[in-house]
Amino acid sequence: MRYMVPVAARDPLTELRRGVLEHCVLAVVRARESYAFDIVRGLSRSGGLVTSEGTIYPLLSRLRRDGLVATTWRESDAGPPRRYYRITMEGERVLGAFVTDWVRFRDAVDGVLAVRLPEGE
Amino acid sequence: MDADALVRDYLGRLDAAAMRLPRERRAELEAEVRDHIEAALEESGARDEVTVRNMLDRLGSPDEIVAAENAGGAISGAGSSGTVAFDPSGAQTVARPAAPGWGAIEIIALLLLTVGSIVLPFVGPLLGLVFVWLSDRWNGREKLMASAIVLVLLILPLALFFGASTSGGLNGPQVGPAATAGP
Repeated sequence: MRYMVPVAARDPLTELRRGVLEHCVLAVVRARESYAFDIVRGLSRSGGLVTSEGTIYPLLSRLRRDGLVATTWRESDAGPPRRYYRITMEGERVLGAFVTDWVRFRDAVDGVLAVRLPEGE
Repeated sequence: MDADALVRDYLGRLDAAAMRLPRERRAELEAEVRDHIEAALEESGARDEVTVRNMLDRLGSPDEIVAAENAGGAISGAGSSGTVAFDPSGAQTVARPAAPGWGAIEIIALLLLTVGSIVLPFVGPLLGLVFVWLSDRWNGREKLMASAIVLVLLILPLALFFGASTSGGLNGPQVGPAATAGP
């Protein structure tokens, strides 16, 4: 059960990150078939989208189970075979819907944040 | 603690934290994290204590990783089996079927396989197998394994009995497994 946490005690970025991470992963594997370590690295480098790298594995497992990504095992040059992830049709659909929503959401937040009090008040 | 001990300790804690996950997913998650650690150390080109500590910090705590198995929920519009519910705080929670645990079916199966083989020879363990197959607690491989063991244990005395009675003449039922010890 969740309980209310005072606004000041919450880190809005943590919650935002959690909310968008799955779709960011979908976007990464849509651009290019990738293996988990690669996906994590890419997302950590893009402005710290992943903070606890290990949590990507439960997330990928969920995307697999929901049929949004498909996987193939491939031999790697060094080390054990790797599982490569690519987006499915259903994943494309979900990602497309998210992009529309995200743009609307981002514009709404930007609009609110840009409101300036009139001079002299 | 040296670098290897740090990694071992981490994987041990992950194993303990992942105890409540379904067995197959638990093994998979542990393998994924193990491979990740190897790949990260490979990439950094060093295996000293500081490198390993930093790498494990980036990985997140085992509890955090296991918690993520159940958090997050089904992605919206995925049409998945999880039902998405919204609580007043706006947090998305997902009701998933709980990991199968021990219920009446499992207990009956176990009793029939153990006590049942004494109280109801032959019939008990066979009934036990029926309950094993009815249960969601065990996967196909485990069920096959249990069946194989029970069937071998049931067939073995019969095979010994008939084997002994055909090779050793018609000595009757008193010739049990002991007959095979003879010359």
